[in-house]
Amino acid sequence: MGWIRNPLIQFLAVVVVMLVAVAVGTSLLSRRAADDEAINDARAVTTVLARSVARPAIPRGLVDGNPAAIDQLDRRVLNRLLVDRVRRIKIWDARGRILYSDETRLIGSRYGLGAEEREVLARGGIEAEVSDLTKPENRFERQLGGLLEVYTRIHAPGGNPLLFEAYYSRSDIAVQRERIFDRFRPITLGALLAFATLTTPLLLLLMRRIRRAGEERERLLQSAINASDAERLRIARDLHDGVVQDLAGASFALTTVAMRPRTPSDVSDELTGVSRSLRTSMRNLRSLLVEIYPPELHTEGLEAALTDLLAPLPARGIHTSLRVGDVSCASDEAVALAWRVAQETVRNALRHAAASSIEVSVGSIADELVLQVADDGNGFDGSAVPAGHFGLRGLHSLSRDAGGRLRVESVEGRGTTVTLTVPHR
Amino acid sequence: MTPKLIRPAVAGLVLAAAAATVPGVPAVARHGNDDGVVRTGSCSGIANWKLKVKADDGRLEVEGEVDSTRSGQTWRWAIQHNDSLSAHGVRQTAGRSGSFSVERRVVNLRGTDRVVFRAVRANTGEVCRGVIRF
Repeated sequence: MGWIRNPLIQFLAVVVVMLVAVAVGTSLLSRRAADDEAINDARAVTTVLARSVARPAIPRGLVDGNPAAIDQLDRRVLNRLLVDRVRRIKIWDARGRILYSDETRLIGSRYGLGAEEREVLARGGIEAEVSDLTKPENRFERQLGGLLEVYTRIHAPGGNPLLFEAYYSRSDIAVQRERIFDRFRPITLGALLAFATLTTPLLLLLMRRIRRAGEERERLLQSAINASDAERLRIARDLHDGVVQDLAGASFALTTVAMRPRTPSDVSDELTGVSRSLRTSMRNLRSLLVEIYPPELHTEGLEAALTDLLAPLPARGIHTSLRVGDVSCASDEAVALAWRVAQETVRNALRHAAASSIEVSVGSIADELVLQVADDGNGFDGSAVPAGHFGLRGLHSLSRDAGGRLRVESVEGRGTTVTLTVPHR
Repeated sequence: MTPKLIRPAVAGLVLAAAAATVPGVPAVARHGNDDGVVRTGSCSGIANWKLKVKADDGRLEVEGEVDSTRSGQTWRWAIQHNDSLSAHGVRQTAGRSGSFSVERRVVNLRGTDRVVFRAVRANTGEVCRGVIRF
């Protein structure tokens, strides 16, 4: 699941989510706009049909229901009225009588006009509404499904106001709406896709630069660490080859002088004490050297390093024990991590725990290196890392980076046990 | 002439005039669902007429025909729908049969529709007239 953290994958996921959101959002908004557009289109068609087709063709006798006038209108304009998406035509007079319709069974029938229809008859304009197919005047349209009726006012040759009504199939309106919507959809989605297409390479470039900068920073850090290591090695070597050897030689010489028969006993005792003090200083110095520069942390050196780490503790009254199992399969990196964890936890035990006993064990379980450091000190609340234990957090981080895990178990007053488990490789 | 003698003579003249001006009674009348209604008859002269009315999608298809056996004759024709002049025009007979025909659609109104086809020859005044109630 590491790919989830990949910024490019995250970016593309965001783009996909945005695409879906934009598609849904624009679909809803555009659908409404397309609906309005389709209805406006129906209004425009109705206006043209009413003014340019129907009105000029209305014969004089139509308002009187003259059969010949009805015939003439039917013959002249029926084919020109039922065009495109128009499904029905009705021409009403002001009293609600249908003077003409392509559905001839309606001609001559009278029905009540609605308030809006009367309004249009009186003041003109154009209205559109969903047809109420339960009305008797619409009984022949029920088989046509949902309809939208658009009506406007025209005038008969004698000046009588008539209501021209055109019916459109709502499914046709929906098709028209989709047609309109289809023109917008590529614009919105295409823009987003184009944005993603353009920005993805830029993001890739940026990621590459960041990765390179990270590598450079890591290289510089490693150089700094190497320089520090080299300096510490030089200091440790100088101390080991100089001061430690001098101390060892002086201690040896003092012991030799103290053991001579001619040396007075009180002087011999003083010399022996000085020699012991020198050896203690030398041991402390060697522990310091181990801290300054850890020994070669290959598998063979881990036991010696841990021994040196624990060596000064008995002098402080702390009982120590060390058990080292088979760690021959572990990589140098795993061994180095074990050393750092041991060093930090022993140091914590000394500084914070007031422990009287520290036990260190290291070995292998299956293909993992396992280090355990246990003390009988003060302990702490195991649910939270105590203040000042920044080293412990760092160890957690180091362990994760190495593919391992660090478990800290502690109960106040009952000591602390730190367990590192890290793969051999 | 006494009035008693005059009355039969006047009556004979009136009948003769009527026979000369009024088209003949339809000779054949046929009804059918698919073909509609067809009527034929003789005109006031030598020509014959045929009127056919058929319902189609809320309309009536009206077809009027005059067969005079002579081509080149000029006839004024008219179709009345419920006593209203729905269509009219002028045609000439043509072809070996010397006939012409006109077709028009009228709206099939509520109730019974009365369709009249009438043709008058321009020169002679010969009249053809057929009526169908549909």
